[in-house]
Amino acid sequence: MKTPIVAFALSIIISLSARAELKWEQTTVELHPTAADKQAVGHFKYQNPGKTPVHFKSVHASCGCTTAQTQKDEVPPGGSGEITATFNIGDRTGTQVKTVTVETDEATNQKTVLTLRTIIPQQLEINPTFVFWKQGEKPDPKAITVKVGKDFTVKHIKVTSSSPDFQTKVEEKGNGEFKIDVQPQETKNLIASTLTIQPEDSQKVFYATARITNSPVVQ
Amino acid sequence: MRSSLVRQVLILLALALAPGVGEAVYFRHRISWQSAVLPSELVTVDQARTWGGNVIWVDARPDEEFASDHVPGALSLNEDQWNELLPQFLAVWSPGKKVAVYCSSLSCNASREVARRLRREAQLPDVFVLEGGWEAWLKKNR
Repeated sequence: MKTPIVAFALSIIISLSARAELKWEQTTVELHPTAADKQAVGHFKYQNPGKTPVHFKSVHASCGCTTAQTQKDEVPPGGSGEITATFNIGDRTGTQVKTVTVETDEATNQKTVLTLRTIIPQQLEINPTFVFWKQGEKPDPKAITVKVGKDFTVKHIKVTSSSPDFQTKVEEKGNGEFKIDVQPQETKNLIASTLTIQPEDSQKVFYATARITNSPVVQ
Repeated sequence: MRSSLVRQVLILLALALAPGVGEAVYFRHRISWQSAVLPSELVTVDQARTWGGNVIWVDARPDEEFASDHVPGALSLNEDQWNELLPQFLAVWSPGKKVAVYCSSLSCNASREVARRLRREAQLPDVFVLEGGWEAWLKKNR
């Protein structure tokens, strides 16, 4: 043999791959829930092509917002199954990446990390979600920008202030963009208002807060 | 003999490089498990202590963990109920106050996400992530 080191390395690689027992169909799942969905569920399918049973020792999710379940504790030779990972969306936005670590009693690859990538659609992007005036500050209007998400169509939005002390005015800027001018009647009192922003023909409600704060603490 | 050894080493290096390049290409769009936090956005328990009453402690852990125990005076603000809890936090925030957000431990990500949303969506300044989270606070205070 001319290249004994290469042969040795290759034989180790081949022997290691032969010993691996649990085969995963995929270790990364991408989910696209709708705006109304409260949960996103990913299925990670596996198979045991080996000659000995494989036992699950632990299944651990990376955050409290995700739960993971095995169908069984033991996978017999030739057996298959899946791990179900459920991600509770809550009030999260954007792309969320959560992991589930699966530990087995396999000779190799005892730990497998399964990745759940959830793309949460965002109907409206509000920026900022908080406007404030310091006590005694001139009560000039402050702007909140509302952008419609790329997969949505919103022609009008309705804005309601929980307090009559704050006035709101909506301006349609075009191209799925709105400007909300928020203005307090005065800034003498420490008052606050929740602004409810609702797209036309939608049950989904978005929020912003307007508030008169006390003056900064002098250090 | 020597050239043969060098050639074999090069072949092994090339073999090792192939899966590395493949992984870099295949996972190029993958988001890291933990969103990066700049050192300037982190605060230690000792640093936060020096802020005295000028800090608002924010607990980013799930409700049941907050209910079980939390930093005295801390407010619960997690992404499970962001829309409901955010106004309660904003009601006590005032300009000049610093905000220290924590979750369970060094490995959790919830505090980073909550801090990011406070900075980006509510546009609040001086929002920090507590290094080591609740575990670090417990070590220093219990």
